[in-house]
Amino acid sequence: MKRQKTVYWLQGGGCGGDTFSFLSSEFPNIIELFRRLELELLWHPSLSNLSPAEHARLLADILAGEQPLDILMVEGSVICGPAGTGMFDTKDGQPKKEMIYNLAGQAGLVMAVGTCACFGGFGNDQVIEAIGLQFARKQRGGLLGSDFRSASGQPVINLAGCPCHHDVIAGALISAASGVNLELDQYQRPIEWFGTTVHQGCTRNEYHEYRVEESDFGELGCLFFHMGCAGPLVPGPCNKLLWNQQSSKPRAGVPCFGCTDPDFPRATPFFQTPNIEGIPISLPMGVNRAHYMVYKGMAAAAAPDHLKKRTSKV
Amino acid sequence: MSIVTRGVNIPLNRAEGDLEVRVEIEDGVVAEAWSAGTMYRGFEAMMRGRGALDGLVVTPRVCGICSLTHLSAAVAALDAIAGVEPPDNAWRLRNLALMMETIQSDVRQSILMFMVDFANRQAYHDLPLLEDACERYSPLAGRAAIEVVRETKRLLQGVAIIGGQWPHTSFMVPGGVTSMPDVSKILQCRIIIERFIAWYERTILGCSLERWQQVGSVTDLENWLEENDAHQDSELGFFLRIARQSDLHLLGRGPNRFLSYGNLVLPEDTTVGGFDGKVSRAGWAEGAEVFPLDAGKITEDTSHSWFAPGKPPLHPFDGETKPYASGHSGQVYSWVKAPRYDGQVAETGPLAEMIIDGRPLFKDLIERQGPSVFARQLARFVRPAALLPPMRVWADELRQHCMDLFYRSVKMIPDGEGVGMVEAARGALGHWVKVRDEKISHYQIITPTAWNGSPRDSEGRRGAWEEALIGTPIADQANPVAAGHVVRSFDPCLVCAVHCLQSGRRTGRMKIDSNR
Repeated sequence: MKRQKTVYWLQGGGCGGDTFSFLSSEFPNIIELFRRLELELLWHPSLSNLSPAEHARLLADILAGEQPLDILMVEGSVICGPAGTGMFDTKDGQPKKEMIYNLAGQAGLVMAVGTCACFGGFGNDQVIEAIGLQFARKQRGGLLGSDFRSASGQPVINLAGCPCHHDVIAGALISAASGVNLELDQYQRPIEWFGTTVHQGCTRNEYHEYRVEESDFGELGCLFFHMGCAGPLVPGPCNKLLWNQQSSKPRAGVPCFGCTDPDFPRATPFFQTPNIEGIPISLPMGVNRAHYMVYKGMAAAAAPDHLKKRTSKV
Repeated sequence: MSIVTRGVNIPLNRAEGDLEVRVEIEDGVVAEAWSAGTMYRGFEAMMRGRGALDGLVVTPRVCGICSLTHLSAAVAALDAIAGVEPPDNAWRLRNLALMMETIQSDVRQSILMFMVDFANRQAYHDLPLLEDACERYSPLAGRAAIEVVRETKRLLQGVAIIGGQWPHTSFMVPGGVTSMPDVSKILQCRIIIERFIAWYERTILGCSLERWQQVGSVTDLENWLEENDAHQDSELGFFLRIARQSDLHLLGRGPNRFLSYGNLVLPEDTTVGGFDGKVSRAGWAEGAEVFPLDAGKITEDTSHSWFAPGKPPLHPFDGETKPYASGHSGQVYSWVKAPRYDGQVAETGPLAEMIIDGRPLFKDLIERQGPSVFARQLARFVRPAALLPPMRVWADELRQHCMDLFYRSVKMIPDGEGVGMVEAARGALGHWVKVRDEKISHYQIITPTAWNGSPRDSEGRRGAWEEALIGTPIADQANPVAAGHVVRSFDPCLVCAVHCLQSGRRTGRMKIDSNR
């Protein structure tokens, strides 16, 4: 008989937001997903019903190599404080980072779910010394080290986002269950979902194109130039796959905060775009500054009336 | 001579280690309890020096299940500092989204977190309703579990229509909200609400919202249950039957003092009623006797918490969060601070809301039986029945007023201090914020789980669920289901207890995971 592939979901320093995002997966929903893929969910902290004794036995069996672990999903950061001891985040008196390290060593494939698990996210400053599984912000290494490869030969798959988009979590699980190796970018995010910017598909794109910009909330124009929108700066599927099957933050007038970036949360204030003479300091990916200034100057001059008068819906 | 067992290790299911409760058992009942919450994520320290509006982005990340509640508290503090009154449509949209989040949390907690404990074959092998419970609540397989995953997800689509996504949007800004959905989207929200009401009536209540509102006493409740099969078979009916068999009304009394900050600011022009400008009332209650709330009486005590020692209890505008890891020594045993109201311990959550709002069923329940696991969980099961009718009204009012303002411009946040006090799904949540030179100079958060899961204070008074655990029968130390029901009835969310550090003693713990 074919053995069912197994999944273990572990939470470190996080808010559970990735789990709640995952629960919003629509097609298939999480229950159908596990059933159709014939995945056995060994453990999830909010969904499982094992007693602690059974859970302890399961962990011991995985670590002894007696219980196969095909997919390890880690949500939340690896907390290393205080002073590198990891004692700010423990299980049974032991630093949870040790548990993550040991489980990763047994796993067929390791996925970091959400920006905290990928890069450290909230807490990546000096307060709790949070890091990601294979990165600390943009720096390679993290908990597992840059040379880490799971039994499948792949590095940690970074499912970035705060939270990670539900369709990305579901899609990555489907790929893993089907034995598909995902192609990754320089920060080990799958190109499948992180090969386009959040900007792509934004319903404010026409405003962006002609540099019809806003400096207050509640308007229809582009949020990139003054309102701190990071849509053109970071990769992600938010305007392609839509959240909760409905919308995205920029569509609802909320700037993208760049939550898939290894440096999220950024140090500069949200809702503001640091700029020089009205041109943002951070330009869209790969753009030449001089060319961009000329292009945007001309674009603004060419803006059609329906954009200048804000009659075009977003 | 009585038999005393000290430092008992009582494991519970679905444990990740966020919360550890140590108990002392005397003659088969809990005689003492110490609750040590765990994860410290340094949010308040992270906030200092950030941009004035950054609380709108950072604090929702405190908790993945009540992220909009943190947003609501953060924006209320900023509204206050900016001295701005958001327009009616902003309140309708903020309230609708917050109510959707609260309802998903109540329903998920009731079915996926609380009732699932009755689908534990090991613990409940002789419970007559066990097979029925397993069929309803088994993780990822039970009938009710599957429906709850599906229906709560659909309800949250309404939040995405209003705010772009759930969880972790920041669509509430000082002065209002960032957009007004198109009329077609408002109509879609109305349908989402209507659809959810139909499911909630059919599956959770087994009757219409109107029929449920007629239940105004314990006797009414008993009569309602016996009235027909639909009532008996609904999730609420099943809960009432299983509660009776398991004596949940005798478990988990707690401090019998209640706190609610009140919630859901009423638009000026609305047909929805309430108290003092809000749908639910701010107040303090001793038993069923309700008093007005004075927010100046709230303090945080750190005498038993791992924070920099030597400070008296402080008001959150003066409070500090300086972790001080002294290890497991002396009287200090938790990373949660101990919030107190006028020096008193209080519980917060849906039961507190029901009592302080003067809902007759709960007033009667408290007067006759006192607080209990049963009362607490019943309040959570039926709170959506109180929230859903105003949601209908506000969706209709949004359609009528779709051309009206949803935002008043706030160009800059001046120096000042403000507080945002709201009701999260788990109870009273407050953000105390100071802004100087367009930067945050002070940020203190007191979460509902800090109230409910606090450690002792300098007077030695136990926290709310420490108190509720006293007297709980422990038949089997390896499987203390009753103690589990007690703590779970408070809907613990240790992710929310932002002061907590994940740490603990090596022996003698009961463990319960956070509900996330």
